[in-house]
Order: sequence, then structure tokens, then C-alpha cells
Amino acid sequence: MKKRIIIGLACFTLIFFLGGVYIIGSIQRATSTLDTLIKLHQVQILRAQLLISAKRTQSDFAYKDTRYFKDLEKVIGNVVVMADESKKCSGCHHTEEVAARIADFRTRIGAYEDCLSRLLTMRAGRLRMDAEEDRTLQIGQDLTDRLDSMVFVTKAKLEEKTQSSLRGIGEMKSLLFILISAGPILAIGLAIVFIKGFTGPLGAILQATRRVKAGDLAFRIEGLKDEFGEVAGSFNEMAGSLNEQMQNLQRAEQMKVVGEMAAGLVHEIKNPLTGIKATMQVIIEQGSCGKEDLVVLSKVMDEVKRIEALMKSLLDFAKPPKPQLMPVDINAILESTLAFSIPYSSVASSWGKAIEVVRAFDPRLPTVLADPSQMQQVFLNLLMNALEAMPEGGVLTVRTSGVELAEEVRIDVADTGKGIDDETGEKIFQPFFTTKHKGTGLGLAVTKRFVEMHGGTIAVEKNPGGGTIFRICLPGKAAIDRTGR
Amino acid sequence: MRGLFVVFIISLAVLAAFPRAGFGRERESPAQSVVIGLTPEQNIFRQIDRYTPLAEYLSQKSRLGVKPKVTTRYGEAIDDLVSPKMDGAFLGAFAYVLARRKVDLEPLARPEGLDGRSMDHGLLFVRKGSGIRDAREMRGKRFAFVDRASAAGFLLPLVYFHDHGIKDYRTYFKETYFAGTHEDAICDVLSGRADIGAAKSTVFHRLEDTDRRISRELMILSRSPDVPETTLVVRKGLDPSITAAIRDALLKMDGDPLGRAVLKGFGAERFVPTVDKDYEPLVEYAHRLKLDLHHYNYE
Repeated sequence: MKKRIIIGLACFTLIFFLGGVYIIGSIQRATSTLDTLIKLHQVQILRAQLLISAKRTQSDFAYKDTRYFKDLEKVIGNVVVMADESKKCSGCHHTEEVAARIADFRTRIGAYEDCLSRLLTMRAGRLRMDAEEDRTLQIGQDLTDRLDSMVFVTKAKLEEKTQSSLRGIGEMKSLLFILISAGPILAIGLAIVFIKGFTGPLGAILQATRRVKAGDLAFRIEGLKDEFGEVAGSFNEMAGSLNEQMQNLQRAEQMKVVGEMAAGLVHEIKNPLTGIKATMQVIIEQGSCGKEDLVVLSKVMDEVKRIEALMKSLLDFAKPPKPQLMPVDINAILESTLAFSIPYSSVASSWGKAIEVVRAFDPRLPTVLADPSQMQQVFLNLLMNALEAMPEGGVLTVRTSGVELAEEVRIDVADTGKGIDDETGEKIFQPFFTTKHKGTGLGLAVTKRFVEMHGGTIAVEKNPGGGTIFRICLPGKAAIDRTGR
Repeated sequence: MRGLFVVFIISLAVLAAFPRAGFGRERESPAQSVVIGLTPEQNIFRQIDRYTPLAEYLSQKSRLGVKPKVTTRYGEAIDDLVSPKMDGAFLGAFAYVLARRKVDLEPLARPEGLDGRSMDHGLLFVRKGSGIRDAREMRGKRFAFVDRASAAGFLLPLVYFHDHGIKDYRTYFKETYFAGTHEDAICDVLSGRADIGAAKSTVFHRLEDTDRRISRELMILSRSPDVPETTLVVRKGLDPSITAAIRDALLKMDGDPLGRAVLKGFGAERFVPTVDKDYEPLVEYAHRLKLDLHHYNYE
């Protein structure tokens, strides 16, 4: 937007400057034209005056030796005026041709002066005097004829020049009117563009704010550029964050409700279940039941145990016990969990030779603060999942990594099973989500809950060699020391 | 009665004092006008051009309104001094000698040329190749004088005629006429409108500088003794302070930068004092020719 404003202002300034230059130039041209016209008129007046002086002088001398002859001093004065007028135009910048013509006129006027002086001062016989008079009148007549012609031609040219100049000034005037009219229109146009440039994005942001205020946290601003685009980006990030926090809040609320409900349910179910279990135990121990009855009772006992395990998982998820933190060796917990889980796994036991277990423990792995029983349950869940994912055998890899001063300790549990798709990956940690026939959908949810209670994270990703990798990151000692937990 | 007299005297004193006391400033009287005549030594319009800067300079220095007035004849200047339409004039030597017989005049100054001379002389000249080499060969030709009151243009040629045995020039020549100016006399001979001409040397040489044909095509037959250059004379009846102011301004021109510039345009180095005695040779010439200067017809 800043760039657009600068470009717009630069364009406006440039147009204004060019317009100003044109107007000043036009005024200067018009002034110059008028000045030239005035000068030409002055020249015309000078020439007309010169013609009048020459004619007056001719007239004066025509009356010489008659009683109509004027005072000699006045006659001489007229000639002096004529000569002075012929010199007045010496400062003008004429073309070579005109300058030559003016020089010729001056020579002729000089010759006329010579003749007049001669005529006035000479005393001679009649014949000589007549000849002088004839010569003087002839030169004077020639001079006035030429002046007459020059005045006529100058007048015609001046008229033409005046008309042409007036036409030029008229055209200039029309252009100026157009420019003066176009100026405000251009300014209004630019103002509209600027206002739209401001109000459009501001309107979009305002509308987005109202949508978010109304609860539409999924609404995003699209199509804005420049600074407004940056504002829109920040707004979108803010809305996204709000949306995430709102979901977390809702989830926490749900968990709280589920937890309270589960605690109540477990309490209500556990007591009668304990009674059922004890009664069944007594009946079995009395030995009064037949063989077939014992089988049935044994199945009932198994189902009771399953309900107990479900109740425990539900309670762990909804109302997990507060972890009892202590320095633990993750490698050792993993080793004991592997030793416990592999032999008891139905898959591992039936396909024992088909499952290859790879232990890639980092010997420099530092101790972490954790609840060992919760960590064991976490690892057990992951290992059991991995084993169950490889019903036809595969490679189970357990890898740890991290250094003494590391910010975190990483534990990977990878299998080479059938893997999971993206949709499953997104939902896999949600409670009650399961892909197993007899699963409760609480194992991974409880696992995630425990890890998060330790300040860690858990994620699932595809194993490049096929299958799935579950990756747990727990805060290392350095991170614990820094945060003071 | 005595009281009335005292009141009258006081009133007169107040009235007399009023213009000074009431208005304080004395009004400047307009510059007094002095008309100076110019004889037609050359084309009268060029004569005006030549003398106008000098008149303006004199006006400025003397605080007078010096107005040049050109005349068409030498005699006209003499008549105007007598009438008196003029207060002074730049007169040629012979014109001054004639004018002095009619009116009391005071010669003030005359120009000294760039060659350091304040005298000129008369010349008689013909076209080269005209076949005229002496007075004898002038017979039956056309002669161009300048003016009857011109020394170089008339008096000195008469002396030449007298010395060469020409008793009546009117019959000796086919035609004689007065060209009016020295310049015209020279130009007439140059253009063939006259065969012989008479003119003053200063004008002849001045024209020579601008027109090379003069030295190329004209030949000087005779040269007269020196006579004083054109002189500024004023009527003796003129206010002595005016006379003194004009004289001072003229004589001090060469000591003033503006004056030197005007002198340069005029074609002179300075103005030098002149006295009546400088013109005695012309009176001698007139006596030789038995001219009655008191009744001389300069028309």
C-alpha cells in the first residue's frame, strides 16, 4: 500500500508539475507572441510615421519659392525628424533581407537629405536650380513610393501574423481550459482509487473481526495484499490460535466431565463387581460345581477381570493419578517392559520367532524425572500396539537418544506392520478411537495423557521402511533445571 | 499720520519677507536661452548632427539653454546676428570680418584640429584628367564657389583670380554658381557637375577620409595662405556672464572627460582662444581686391 501511495503521489506530482510547466510555457509563449505583435505594430507605426514625414517633407519642398512655403526652420526640423525616425529601428533583430532593405532606405534617406540640403543652400542659375529641384523631388517621390509599398506589405503581413497569433492563442486557451477541467477530474479519480484502496481492505478486516466475534473462528481473510495482506495474515494466525485454544478448552471440559462421570461409574461398578468376583471365587473354591460349570465360571471370572481392566483404563484416562516424579533410567524401564511384554504377548508367543526385537539404546542417555510406573505403562501400551500391528511377524525397534545436557530425551518405538493412513493418524490419540476388534480405544489416549503430564509430547509418523513409528519426547535434565519443575 | 506710516512700512517689510519666509525655497529661474548660429559649412543636416553634442555640452556646463540654429547661407547668419535673432554663431573667417562691420562681436574660441592646427586654407581643385592645370585653362569652364561670405569658398578664389589676371570671373567662366556648402562644391566637381571648385581644406580632408574617390579623382591646383578656422563669436551686447560661461566651458573642454569625448566626435583636439587680430590677413585680401567690406553684398 505504501508503495502504491508513493507511486500515486509521484504520478500526481508529475502530472501537476507537467501541467504547471505547460501552463507556464503557454503563458510565456502567449506573452512572447503578444510582445512580438506589439513590436511589429510599433515597427508599423514607425514606418507609417516615416512615410508621413517623407510626404510632409515632399510637400514642404513642393511649395518652395511660393508664398505657402513654411518657416525654413520648421522645414529643416521636419527633415531631422524624418532622419531620426529612420534610425529608430536599429535595435531590432531583422532578417538579413529586411536589414539590407532598411540599410538601403537609410542610404536613400541620406541621399534625400543631401539633395534637400543642396536645394536649400545652393544659389545658381535657373537651369541648374531646376535640375536640382527635379532631382530632389524625384528622389523624394521614389522614397515615398517605396515607403508606401513597404507600409502596405508590412500591414498585410502584420494582419496575417496577428490573425495567426490570435488563432494560436485561442488554441492555447482551449488547451488550458481542458487542462484546468481535467485536473480536478484526475484528482477526484486518484482520490477514489486511494479511498477504495484503503476502505476495501479495512472493510474486509472489519467484517472478519465481526465474524470471529460471532464465533466463526474458522473464517479467514483472503485476497489482501501489501501491508493489509500482512495485517490479514496476523489476523488469520490469531483466529487459528483462538480456534485451537477454544478446542483445547472444550476438550479439557469434556475430559473433566468424562473424568467425573468415569470416577462415579467406576465407583458404582467396582463394588458390585468385587462382590461378584468374590462370590465366584468362593463357589469355585467350594468344589461343588461340575466340570462344565467350572468352565462357565472361569469365563465369567475372565469377563469380570476385563471389566476391571477397562474400569482402570477409564479411570487412568479420566482421572489419572498425579505422577510421582523421580530420576529414572529410561533405558532400564524400557528393558524391563520389553522383558515383561514380549513373553506375555499373545502374538509374540504364537509367532515368537517371527518378531525381531532391535534394542538401539543410547548408553549416554541421561536420567529423566518421571513416574516409573506411568512410564512403564506408556511403553507397555506402545510395545503391545507394535506387536499387535505385526500379526505375521516383523521388526520391532526400540531406540533412545539424547545427551547429558540435552533439552529432551527421545524414545522411538517402530514396527514394520501394515502402518496407518493419514486419517487414522489424526484420530489415533482420541479417546475411544480404535481399529481393533476388541479394543477399548483408551490405550493411546491414556499414553498421551501420561506423556503430557510429564511435560512431553508424543507423535506418530510413517516408518520409511513400512509400518509406524511412535515418538515420545520427554524433557531432559537441562530443560527441567531451566524451568525449575 | 505718523502711526499710519509706521504700519505701512511694517506691512511692506512683511510683504517683502513673505516669499522667503512663507515658501522658504527660491524657485529656480529657467535656464537662459542662447541661440548659436551654424553656417552651412557642410550638409546642413550633418552640420546639425555635428554641433548638437557640443551645444548640449555647453548647456550642461554653462547652465544655459544653448540652441544651435543652422542657416542655409553664411549671410543669413550675419543678418540674424544683426537682427538679433542669434546671440552668437560659428562663423567662418570672412563671414566674421563682414559681420563685425555690421554688429559688435567678440570672438571667443576656435577649434584646434587633431593635427594641432587651428587654421585652415582654401583649395582650388579640378578632376584629374580634366586638362585644367592653371588659370589660363580655366577659361570657359564651370566654377563652383561656396558662398559669397566664405573665405575659402569665395574670397580666396577671388584673390587667386586677381593674382592670375582674371579680371571678371563672371565672363571668364562659362558658368559660376554657389554650391552653398564646401562639401557640395567638392562633390559637384567629383561628380562632374562643375569643372573647378573652391573649398576649405578642413572639409576637403574630412571628406577625403570617408570617400577615397576624392584623393583618387581630384587634383588640387592651388592652395591659399592660412586663415583662422570657424570661430565662435558672440554679440558684445550679450550678458558678460553668459559670454564668460560659454568661453570658459569651451576653453576647458579638453580638461574634462566628457568634454574630450564631445571634442573627439566634433573632430577637434581642443578650443583655443581667438582674437580679432587673427583676421587681419583677410582684411588685407579684401583691400587687395578693393572690396568695400561695409557695403559688401553677401547675398
